Amino acid sequence: MEKLLKRVLEYPKTVLVVILLISVAFTAIMKKNTRMETNLDKYMPEQHPAFVYSNQAEEWFDIKDGIIIAIENKDGIYNSGTLQKVKDLTKKLQKMKEIEKTDVTSLYTADNIVGTEDGMDVKAFFKRVPKDSAKLADLREKVRSNEMVFGRIVSTDETVTVIIARIGDDVFSQDFYHRILDISKEYEGPEKVYVAGRPIVEGTMAYLGPRDMKRMVPIVLLVILLVLYLVLRNVKSTLFTLFVVVFSTIWAFGLMAAVNIPIYAVSTMLPVMLIAIGVADGIHLYSHLYMFLKEHPNATRQEAVHDMLHEMWRPVVMTSVTTAVGFISLLTSQVYPIKYFGIFTAFGVMMAMVFSLVFIPATLLVFGLPHLKKKIKTEEDDEDDKTDHLAYRFAEGVLKYKNVIYALTFIVVVISAWGMAKVWINSSFLEKFEKDSDIVLTDSFINSHFGGTSTLNVVLEGKSGDTFKQPAALEAIVEMQDDVVKKLPVVGNSFSLGDYLKRMNKVMHADSERYDAIPDNQDLIAQYLLLYEMSGDPDNLWQVVTEDYKKANVTFQLKSDNSKALNSAIAIIEEYRPKFEQAGIQVNYAGSGYKALVFTDLILEGQITSLILSLLIIVVLLSFMFKKLSIGLIGSVPIVITALIGLA
Amino acid sequence: MTRRRNQLLLIAFVLTSVVFSYAQEKITGLQVIQNVYDRPEGNDMQSELTMTLINSRGDQRVREIKQFIKDMGKVEKKIMFFMAPADVRNTSFMNWSYTEKGRDDDQWIYLPALKKVKRISSDSKSDYFMGSDFTYDDLGDRQPTDDRHKILREEKLSGEDCYVVESMPKDEDYMYSKTITWIIKDKWIGLKKEFYDEDGDHLKTLTVKKYEKIKGYWIIEASEMKNVQKNHTTTMSLKNIKIDSGISTNKFTERMMKRGIK
Repeated sequence: MEKLLKRVLEYPKTVLVVILLISVAFTAIMKKNTRMETNLDKYMPEQHPAFVYSNQAEEWFDIKDGIIIAIENKDGIYNSGTLQKVKDLTKKLQKMKEIEKTDVTSLYTADNIVGTEDGMDVKAFFKRVPKDSAKLADLREKVRSNEMVFGRIVSTDETVTVIIARIGDDVFSQDFYHRILDISKEYEGPEKVYVAGRPIVEGTMAYLGPRDMKRMVPIVLLVILLVLYLVLRNVKSTLFTLFVVVFSTIWAFGLMAAVNIPIYAVSTMLPVMLIAIGVADGIHLYSHLYMFLKEHPNATRQEAVHDMLHEMWRPVVMTSVTTAVGFISLLTSQVYPIKYFGIFTAFGVMMAMVFSLVFIPATLLVFGLPHLKKKIKTEEDDEDDKTDHLAYRFAEGVLKYKNVIYALTFIVVVISAWGMAKVWINSSFLEKFEKDSDIVLTDSFINSHFGGTSTLNVVLEGKSGDTFKQPAALEAIVEMQDDVVKKLPVVGNSFSLGDYLKRMNKVMHADSERYDAIPDNQDLIAQYLLLYEMSGDPDNLWQVVTEDYKKANVTFQLKSDNSKALNSAIAIIEEYRPKFEQAGIQVNYAGSGYKALVFTDLILEGQITSLILSLLIIVVLLSFMFKKLSIGLIGSVPIVITALIGLA
Repeated sequence: MTRRRNQLLLIAFVLTSVVFSYAQEKITGLQVIQNVYDRPEGNDMQSELTMTLINSRGDQRVREIKQFIKDMGKVEKKIMFFMAPADVRNTSFMNWSYTEKGRDDDQWIYLPALKKVKRISSDSKSDYFMGSDFTYDDLGDRQPTDDRHKILREEKLSGEDCYVVESMPKDEDYMYSKTITWIIKDKWIGLKKEFYDEDGDHLKTLTVKKYEKIKGYWIIEASEMKNVQKNHTTTMSLKNIKIDSGISTNKFTERMMKRGIK
C-alpha cells in the first residue's frame, strides 16, 4: 500500500490534473442529470406486499389524498357572501388542469339525498347562491338534517365549511401548491381561508428538506473553514483539506447522477458525513506533518511526505474502511433511498480516503510544505506562541491517543447517522414541522372542526360478488365504524357503503330515525343501490365498494397522522378480524397514512439489522487490524453503548 | 350594343352562379340534426334491452330490462321492468318526458322489496342513465335548437355516405363543449358521435353497431358508448322489438309498475 502510494506520488502533477479533470467531468454530469426526488411515494419499497396491496386498493376505489381548503366565517357560513365564495372557489379548483372536476367536493357539489312525502330526491344543496334569509335558513336545515354532510363538509358549529380537492400522487408540485395558495388568498376577508391536507404536508416537506440543505451547506463550509484554520493555522492546509471534502462530495453525487439515481431527502445528509470524515483525515495528516517538520526543520518535501504516509496511511485507511462498512450495512434496509445513501456515502468515504492519501501529499509535493515553522521562529508573539502550543499539543494528543480519537470520530458518525434516521422514525409527517408553523396550525384548526385531516382505509374483500349486499356484512362494517369512532377521540369520523344505505333507508321511510339502519334483506339493499345509481352519481359509490360488490372500502378520518394514533385505530379494527374472517371476508389496510406507518416500521427494522451487521463487521475488522480479538471487542464497546442509548 | 349585351351576360352569369351556390348548399347543419331528431320510429315500441356496463378493469355488469315506450304527442311515456340481476327483478321505472320546453320529466320507481312506488327526482350533475355512460340527452332527449350546428364535411363511414356535423351548445354551462356526429345521408341515423368535455378534451364516443328497418322505420338495435377518459364502456342492445303493436295508454301507471312482469 505504502509502495503503491509512493509510486503514484512520483507524478504529483499528473495526480492533481487527473483528480481535477474527473471532478470537472462529474460536475458536468451532475449539472445535466441530477434531479431531486420530491414524490414521497418514490421512497417507498414498491414491491413490499403491504405497498403492493395498498396501491392496488387505491386503484380499486380511486383512493386519493385530498387538499382541504377550509373557509371560516366567525359569524356563520350561511350568508350569500360566504356561499358565493364556496361556489366560486369550487369552480376555480374544478377548472385547474391538475384536478379532475368530479374530484372536488364542497357544499356546492355535494349530493343531498332527501326524503319527500312521496319519494326520494337527490339534489344539489344549492345551485344559485341563496340570497334571502328564508332560503338561507332552508339550506341550513337541509345540511343539519343530512349526517352525510353535517360535520363532514360543514362544521357542527356552522362557522367553517371545507372544499376537498382529491389529487393524484404525481400531481403535487411547488408551483401547484403556490397557485392553490394564491387562489385561496383571493377569497380572504371577512372569511379566513386555510389550506391543509396530506399532499400539502408531504409536498412542503419534500420542498423544505432540500432548501434547508441548500442554506446549510454554505454555513457548514464556513464553519469548517474557520475550525480548520484555527487548528491548522495555515491557509493552504485549510484549503486543501476542504478540497478533499468538496471533491469526495462531487464524486459521490456525480456517480449518483451518472447512474441516474435522483437525490432523495436522506441523500442530502451525504455532504455532512463526508465533511466529518474528510476533515478528520486532513487534521490527522497535517498534524503529523507539523510535528515532523518541527522535529526535522530541514526536511525536504519528499521526506516529509514519505514520513507522513508511512505513519499515517494505516490509521486513515482503518477509519475510512470501518466507516464505509458501517454505511454499506445500510444495504440491508428495505428502503431504497437509504440503501442508496449507504452505498454512495461509503463510496464518498473511500474517495475521501484516497484524496487524503494521494491528493494532499501531491499538493505538498507540488505547492510546497506549509511555512508554519518559520513563522513560529521569527515571530515571538506571545499569543501566537500560545495558540501554536495548543495546536502542537492537540496534534501530539491526536497521535498519542489516535485509537481513541478514531473511536470518537466513529461514534460521532454513528450518532449523526442515528439522529438522521430518527427524523424518519415517526410516521407522522406533520410532527416534523415546527409546532407554530402555518401548516401545523392550519391542520389543528381543521381537526378541531372536522373529523380529521388524516385517513386510514380498511379494505374488506369477500370471496364472491355481492358480498357487500348482504345485511350481515354491512352491519358488521357499521358496528366496527361506530366502535372505533366511539372509543377513540382521535378518530373523528368514518365512511362506508353502510352510510349510503342507512341514509337511503331512512329517507325512503319518510326520514324516520327508526330506519337509520342497514335494511334487513338483500333484495332491498340491491334495489336501493340501483336506485342510487339511477338518481345519484354512481362514481361516489365506487369509492366505497367495487362494482361487483366483492370488495369494500371503509375510511376512517383521524385527527393525527402519527404512528400511535394509527396503531390505536388498527388495534380496535383487528378485534373485528375474526368476525369478518368467519364470513369469508379478508381485512387489509391501504392509503398513504398506512403506507407511511409500514414505511416507518421498515426503517426501524432496517436500522437495527444494519447496526448489528456493521457491529459484527467492525469487530472482525478491528480484531484483524490489531491482530487481537479483545481489542476488536473493546473497540466496539462504545458503539454498542451509543446504539443502546439510541434504542432506549 | 355589344357592350350592353356583355352586361346582360354578366348579370345572367352572376344570377345563375348565385342560384347554383344556393342549390349546392341545399341543407344546413341544423336541418341535418333536425332530420335525425324527427326520424319516425313509430308510435310505440316494446323490446328487451340488455345493458352491459364494463369498467376499466374489464369487469362486466349485465342488466336485462323489458321496456315499453309510447309516444303520445306532447308526452312520451316509458316503463321499464328489470328482469336481471335477480336481486332487482321486477324493480320498475317509469318516465314521462314532455315536449313542453323547460318542463322536467316525471319519474317513479317501484322497489318490490319495499312494495312502494316512489317518485324520484334528480337534478344532480350527472344525469347519467342508470349509472351507464349514456346521459338522458345522449339517448335522444336533446332539442336540436339547443345547439348551433355546422356541417364540417361529408365522408364515408362504414360504407355509408355521411354528413359530419359539429354541434356547439348555446348554453355555455352545458356538460359538453361540442359534439361531432356522423349522420347517414339517406337514413338520418347518427352512426357515430364524439363528445368533448368542458375543456374541449375528447370524453366519449358513441358507436352504432347495428340498425335495421322494422315496419318501415330505421331502428338502432345495438350501440356502444365508450368514455375514453374513464375507460368505461356501456353497450346497449335490443331484441324482440315490436313496433306499433298498439300498447295501451293504461300500461303506464303505478298499478302496472307494481304488477311487474311475469
